[in-house]
Amino acid sequence: MATTWDAIVIGGGHNGLVNAAYLARAGRKVLVCERRPRVGGAAVTEEIFPGFKFSMFSYVVSLLRPEIIRDLELPKHGLHILPLESTLTPMENGDYLASWPDHDDTRRELMRHSPRDAEAYDEYGRLMHHMAHAVRPILAMTPPDPTSLDPRDLLTLAKLGGHMRGLGAEQFHALFKLMTMSAADFLDEWFETDVLKATKSASGIIGTFLGPRSPGSAYVLLHHYMGELDGVFRAWGFAKGGTGSVSESIAGAARRLGATIRTDAGVTKVLIADGRARGVVLESGEEILARTVVSGLDPRRTFMELVGEEALPEEFSADIRRFKFRGSSAKVNLALDALPSFTCLPGFGPHLRGAMSISPSMDYVERAYDDAKHGEFSRQPYMDIEIPSLIDPGMAPPGKHVMSIFVQYAPYAVRGGWTDAKREALGDAVVNALARFAPNIKDIILHRQVLTPLDIERITGLTEGNIFSGELALHQLFFLRPAPGYAKYRSPVKGLYQCGSGTHPGGGIMGASGRLAAMAILEDHA
Amino acid sequence: MSADVLVIGAGVNGLVAAHALARAGRRVTVLEQGAASTGAPFVGWVPPQVVRELGLDRAGLTIRHAEPWVSSALPDGTRLELSVDIAKSQEAIKRLSPSDAAKWPDFAMRMRRLAGVLEALYVQPPPDVESQDPKELLHLAMVALKVRRLGKEAVIDLLRILPMSSAELLDDWFESDALKGVLGAASVMHLHQGPRSGGTAFNLLHHHVGCPAGVFRQPASNVRDVLERMPGIEIRRGATVTRITVDGGRATGVQLANGEEIAAATIVSSSDPRRTMLGLLAPGWLEPEYARAVKNIKCRGVAAMVTLDLKGAAPFASLLIAPSLAHLERAYDDAKYGRASREPWLEARAEGNRILVHAQYAPYAMRDGGWDDARRAAFGHAVVARLLSAAPELTGAITVRDVVTPKDLEATQGLTEGQAYHGELTLDQILFMRPVPGWPYRTPIASLYLCGAGTHPGGAIAGASGRNAAHEILRS
Repeated sequence: MATTWDAIVIGGGHNGLVNAAYLARAGRKVLVCERRPRVGGAAVTEEIFPGFKFSMFSYVVSLLRPEIIRDLELPKHGLHILPLESTLTPMENGDYLASWPDHDDTRRELMRHSPRDAEAYDEYGRLMHHMAHAVRPILAMTPPDPTSLDPRDLLTLAKLGGHMRGLGAEQFHALFKLMTMSAADFLDEWFETDVLKATKSASGIIGTFLGPRSPGSAYVLLHHYMGELDGVFRAWGFAKGGTGSVSESIAGAARRLGATIRTDAGVTKVLIADGRARGVVLESGEEILARTVVSGLDPRRTFMELVGEEALPEEFSADIRRFKFRGSSAKVNLALDALPSFTCLPGFGPHLRGAMSISPSMDYVERAYDDAKHGEFSRQPYMDIEIPSLIDPGMAPPGKHVMSIFVQYAPYAVRGGWTDAKREALGDAVVNALARFAPNIKDIILHRQVLTPLDIERITGLTEGNIFSGELALHQLFFLRPAPGYAKYRSPVKGLYQCGSGTHPGGGIMGASGRLAAMAILEDHA
Repeated sequence: MSADVLVIGAGVNGLVAAHALARAGRRVTVLEQGAASTGAPFVGWVPPQVVRELGLDRAGLTIRHAEPWVSSALPDGTRLELSVDIAKSQEAIKRLSPSDAAKWPDFAMRMRRLAGVLEALYVQPPPDVESQDPKELLHLAMVALKVRRLGKEAVIDLLRILPMSSAELLDDWFESDALKGVLGAASVMHLHQGPRSGGTAFNLLHHHVGCPAGVFRQPASNVRDVLERMPGIEIRRGATVTRITVDGGRATGVQLANGEEIAAATIVSSSDPRRTMLGLLAPGWLEPEYARAVKNIKCRGVAAMVTLDLKGAAPFASLLIAPSLAHLERAYDDAKYGRASREPWLEARAEGNRILVHAQYAPYAMRDGGWDDARRAAFGHAVVARLLSAAPELTGAITVRDVVTPKDLEATQGLTEGQAYHGELTLDQILFMRPVPGWPYRTPIASLYLCGAGTHPGGAIAGASGRNAAHEILRS
């Protein structure tokens, strides 16, 4: 045991890397242990088929906190976001709904469907913009403990109350509604065009186990607005080189700041002695000691596997056991020989450079949920589709393309369990559902990779394949994430911290958890 | 004729508001469209504050919890009967799951404590979270303090459980489908949601107020009858209000269906907010913002009351058919797409030679044409089929007498979309959000007030809305 580290970070996902970078920046000697041969966790770029590179799991970037980009100087380390500016939703009747980079174009397009909605759209956009603005500071704060009598908690709570009251009646009520309503009900108050509501509400169900008509789904509408740049549906972007390059840039920054990153170094156990975390044990059996251990893994994996219930208070174990994961999303990655052609907008066009949403009606999306609710994958799933190679030609050989298809719903606990046959059946369902709107798709597929929640769990380690390290449901947010009393990145084990998306503010490639956890550690070891 | 105060509707809330105002010296007339008192018992919590202030116990109030409070039909033909006595319920549950039986007392205690918090919030006006008034701030602080005094576990339970789905809550605790079915049914009562929808855990707690620990069916009482008989107010029956007259932004009286006009200084409506503000007021008096908020009140009726004629003696006093959460959820799936449940969940109650059945879901808005006789008949048959599957001894002994759908309730009683609670009890429509944010009992029309279940705290509570509204009126 030659060296003792100030901190060991378990898991080289984006949050772990952000955490390590911040600790290193404060002069700490930090080691990151990543189980896989490459960093990134679920934010990785892999050449799955020769010449075809994919953002294997997580595929768009918009939530990455600006202060992290600045503090870690990520652009210097290769971060380059390319805008993803349009959305196309093909409809069952052969028509479509699109949003374009130019606001007036979008307005004209909406007018075609409903002049009333075109009017309401600007007002809605303004309100959501304000809401996102109002919630942003909450994303950057450590959640107070509402049951604590510590003056600091009381002060934070009072400040939070003041902030909420400062919003004014209209915004406060809208925010309250967003937090409690279903996406469908919330949108019904604004719009009449079914396909518009379907497309918007679909963004509310990503990664959740809720249907658009279930209360609680409206909140995620906002979550996905956080990264919005202006009035378009969702101003999200691709990272040049895939989302793996986001991870690489953070890793680059961390190394530059002095952190050490070991890959192929899976951690099997957190060493605990006298109620304190002392280090970790690797798969190889190697023991590494550190003053502080930080886990970027999800709460169940961290506490139930690496720590073990015997080292935890019973109440806390019970909270972690009932923390819900229920992965509901799958990913299909296609290598294409040519570009797809949509019946509603045949041939090549700017719409292919944006997002394509298979959400033709509210009922379509709701039925997709019904299948999942009763234990099956959606026979006709909601899909969010992009062709990154059109924006970043380096992702595929010349003339060829890669297509990323995010699929909702594919429940982790599918009836009878996931098998190879079921995985392929899901792949077929996805291709068939797409073929209804882009009939040439079947002829242009060169390779197909289907990743079920079980595959996502096996490869990335995310429990039940939940892409947010725990469902983003109201009762699992803020001071309840992942457990009451332990939402401040600390844990019942002294010296053990959490920095993953299973803590506030949760999923998406945000990095906020990693940064806030670093603040907590530095505060304790000032 | 004239009066100081006109109360529209002689429901429990209207009557409580009327009596409370009469006691403060106002001359109150209650206008009721029904020709005769229904005589049906009221099912719901009767807050002790209402009882005390109006002296209802001296006037002969009786409140009764059924024992057992639920008798649920199990697939094997037996029944799960839960009692007011926790130990007895435990015995019954043990037969299904010893582990669930062991957890029952703790569950009962935890839920009871949360229902207690709701009870405290329900007997006062909703906290005004935007107010800058120091008195209101103090009130808010007191509410917060009261909640915190319950202890850490209760605070966390409250914050965690309210937004949850009842399925998640119940799955956390129990394994028995039958037990979860019983509680799940209460959690979707009069709600256009299934047990897997968020916020249904709150609805379960809402229907737990006024109940002892371990009882999730509210008591029946003669409170309506007592309020009708109590002196001090005038009740005019067969008086259907068709218009609230407004002059210079002030409500000045009402117009009845027979053309009669009655003037009054104050109008208090226990009709639902949408009907009152959009149906009874001439259009144009409301600002678009407020009108839009009222129009957006979710008010989707989902329950039908099916009356069966019964030959011979009833084999049960009451019978619940809600065998599992999955079953409830599938019943909801139909309603979600505008169809009546093919296999509705239902609770039947025997009354003499009748069986009265609460059957859900029979959505107000049916797709592909609305409710008609054929659809009513089909729903009646579905209910009978469900009932016979659980109580085969009724074969040949029951015939459908009457199916009252939400559409019928709207047509006959003016209840918007046939929603029994005047607005769904979802998290976005409770407390200071009910009926619309910023207007708890007052309305933008001076001297026009709302006092029905569409205001805080809502349905299945006898007179809390009426009492809170009366206090608000007397204060201003």
